[in-house]
This record gives sequence, C-alpha cells and structure tokens, in this order.
Amino acid sequence: MRTLLWAERQKIRRLSFVWIAIFATVMVAVIVFLSGLTDNDGIRDIDTIGWYMAVAQPLATFFVLPAVIALLGSYMICREEQEHTIESLRLIPVNEAKLTIAKMIITLICSILFYLLLFAITFFTEAALHFSDLSIGMVMKFLKAYLLDGLCIFLAISPIIALVSHMKNGYWIALVITEFYSFIGLFTSTSNTLKALYPITAVFTISGYYDASISQVMLSCISLLFCVGLAAVILAGMNKCK
Amino acid sequence: MALLKLIEIEFLKLRRRKFVWMMMFSALIMPFLAYLLFKYAWNTGGDPVQFYKWSAFGLTLFIILPVVLGILSTMLMYNENQYDMLKQLWIVPVSKMRYFFSKFFVVLIYSVCFMIVTAVGSVIFSILLGDIAFDWQNVLFLIRKCLEIGVITAFAMLPILAIATTQKGYILPVSITLVYAFLGSIIVSINMYLHPLSSMAVIVARNGDIPGLNNTQVISIPLAFLSIFVWGIVSVLLANVALARRK
Repeated sequence: MRTLLWAERQKIRRLSFVWIAIFATVMVAVIVFLSGLTDNDGIRDIDTIGWYMAVAQPLATFFVLPAVIALLGSYMICREEQEHTIESLRLIPVNEAKLTIAKMIITLICSILFYLLLFAITFFTEAALHFSDLSIGMVMKFLKAYLLDGLCIFLAISPIIALVSHMKNGYWIALVITEFYSFIGLFTSTSNTLKALYPITAVFTISGYYDASISQVMLSCISLLFCVGLAAVILAGMNKCK
Repeated sequence: MALLKLIEIEFLKLRRRKFVWMMMFSALIMPFLAYLLFKYAWNTGGDPVQFYKWSAFGLTLFIILPVVLGILSTMLMYNENQYDMLKQLWIVPVSKMRYFFSKFFVVLIYSVCFMIVTAVGSVIFSILLGDIAFDWQNVLFLIRKCLEIGVITAFAMLPILAIATTQKGYILPVSITLVYAFLGSIIVSINMYLHPLSSMAVIVARNGDIPGLNNTQVISIPLAFLSIFVWGIVSVLLANVALARRK
C-alpha cells in the first residue's frame, strides 16, 4: 500500500490538473471577494468580520469544488485505462481495488488541501482588511470548519468516484453528476431535516457552519457513513469481479 | 454550403455519443425542483410567472445551461484531438474558421433544444402542480423567453469554446466553465455588463417582465449586446490564432 501511495504521489506531481484545481480554488475566492464589494446601504459585506471566511465555504462547495475534486479522482482512476498503463500494472500484478483505494486516499488529501488553500486565502484577506478585530477563537473555529469540509466533502462524493472507477472511462459522468449533486444542496439547505440528511449539506452540519442540534449532527454522520459504505460496497464488488 | 455539410457531419458524429443526449435530461432538473418547492414549501397564489422564474429563468439560465454547454463545447473539441483527427482534417482541407463555426452551430442548436425541453418540462410540471391555470399567453411568453435564452447563451459561451480549441486536454476548459458560470451568477450584483452571462440576463429580463431579476441597476440593452459581442469577437480571434498554430 505504501508503495502504491508513493507511486501515486510521483504521478500526481507531473499532472497539470493540480494547478488547474488550484486555479479554480483561487478564482472562487476572488469571485466571492468581488461579490463582497457590493454596497448594502453604505456597508460592504467584506467589512463585516468573518463574512468572507463564512461565505466562501458554502459558495465554493455548492458550485465548484466538489466537481473539481471528483474530476481529479475519477481522472486519476480512468487515465490508467485510457493511457493503456493498466495492462502493465495488471502484469506486475497490482491489486486493482488497492490501487483504487490508494488513488482515493490521494484524492482525500487533495480535497483537504484545496479547502485549506481556500482557508488560507480567506484568512489572509480578512487579516489584511481588519487584523485587530480577528479573535483566535474565531479563526480556529473556521480552520476546523474548513478542515472538516475538506474531509467530509470527499466522503460525500466518494460513491461517485467509486462508481466511475467501476464503469471506467466515465469521468464526464462523474463531473456532471457531482456538479448537480452539489448544486441540489442549495435547495435542501432550506429544510431542516433534508439539510441534515443530504450529504452535501450534511457536511456543513458537521463542520459547524449551520447551528445544528445533536440529532441533526447524528443524522448527518449517518448520511455520510452511508456514502462511505456505498463506496466500499462498490469497490468490494469491483474486487470480486476480477 | 460547405459549412452546412460540416454541421451535418458534426451531428452525425454526435449520434454515437449517448452522453450528449443524456445531458439533455438535466434540462428537467429545475422544472422538477420548482415543482417540488412549490408543492411542498411555498404557495405561489397561482402566479405562473413566479413558477416559470424558478423552473426556467433562474438557475437554469445562470448555472445549468452554461455548465452543460461548456461541457458540450469541450467534448466537441476534445473528440478530434483525442484521435489526432485534426491533421487529416487540415489535409482535406477544411477551413479552420468553418471548422470552428460548425462546432459553434452545434452548440447553438443544442442550446436551443435544451431550452425547449426546459420549456416543455415547465409546462408539464406546472400542469401537474394544479394551482396554476394553463394559459396560452403565458406558455407563449415562456417559450419566447426560452428561445431567447437558448440563442444568446450559445453566444455567451463562445469564450469557453475558444479556450477548448487552444487546449489538448479537457480538464482546463471544464474547470474554467465551472468558474465562468459561477462568476456569471455572482457578478450580476456588481456590474452586469462585464460578463456575457450576466449581460444575457439583462437582455432576457429587459422589460422587467421577470420579477426579482436586475432591478437595482440601470438597464442598457445596447451595452449588454456590446459586451457579448466584444467577448465573442475576442474568442473567435483567439480560436483563429490557436487553430492556425495547430499543425
């Protein structure tokens, strides 16, 4: 397993995709910043302490980041098939389920790193605008929220990545499904029960972005665990086929 | 005539790609969600325009249609690159601009079809909803607006098609599409004339006939057209340069 992880890390270094994903993350931060410049009766949103850090995470999650992360994951899995390297890997032989798990672990790390990057951008912007008003407690709360976002978003989209690796060559489908999957989160966030049940918004219940009761957090945990379970079942099924 | 032939060929190629037709189903997402929202969450009071605003003029216009068209543009361009077909096409020879415009017309036709599906879906779901009276005048209004959206969005997506021509891969254009659509929906509140997608919203909601859209800024239709036109021209030039470099 360690060798597989090492190999994946070496492969990802040469991938321009990582830069593109970073570009997408930075662009999201810039766009949210721009939207904060609008005047609301003489007060700009961006002048409110914590606004930028609070708003960047749901907007990035509903529109861009899950799709980018799912694309990264499914691309890493599908390219072995597409570039015909999977035949050589099978000759070695490499356990395909283990290979997929290694790729998923790398995707998980990338997911957390993208959210941390978003956190870094929003934090430094806030610090540059009004450093003296920031409290350590608030910053730590947001750091925790972003870390959990990165982790849980991966859990929420893991069934899609697993399914795509099962189908092979279907990264387009991964992208479209994930985009709509995260997009529907906009609607489920209007209802309290749905908010906790739907995996994308469950992420925010767990990360502490929504004020949630214990039962809602439990529901969200169950919903995310269900996602992981589904992904595991798909991967296990794949292993059996070989 | 040569262009027509090229467009026909593009469609023949698309026939074998099931995924393109599957994407058409996403046209029904917003009508369905609007149906659920109006059935269980809100009460419209029987106002069809409110329902249509949700089902066809809201997020479909800002997010779903741009993302679908962006993916389609990328797929169209990626196809030939993937199998190194471009070399053979240049040998035929196919004019580079004609090649680009044949792809653009596919996007245009697809976009119009997509909006028609949305319109039909909205009408069906509004009938299912029950408390909205079926009225030809409203349906015609919906169809007219949907056709407008379909045509103008295709032009607003020209930059993505141009970026797809410059790239061999598909990941950069797709990521840019996501950011582009997101930017379009966010920038509406700041300045509507910077981004083609928000300019399109200005044109579609020009007489204030779609409630809740752009009532804070001064409406200027020529400026909105100018914005789309400038972006379009720049992208065509970019595509021209990129295709001329491709040997």
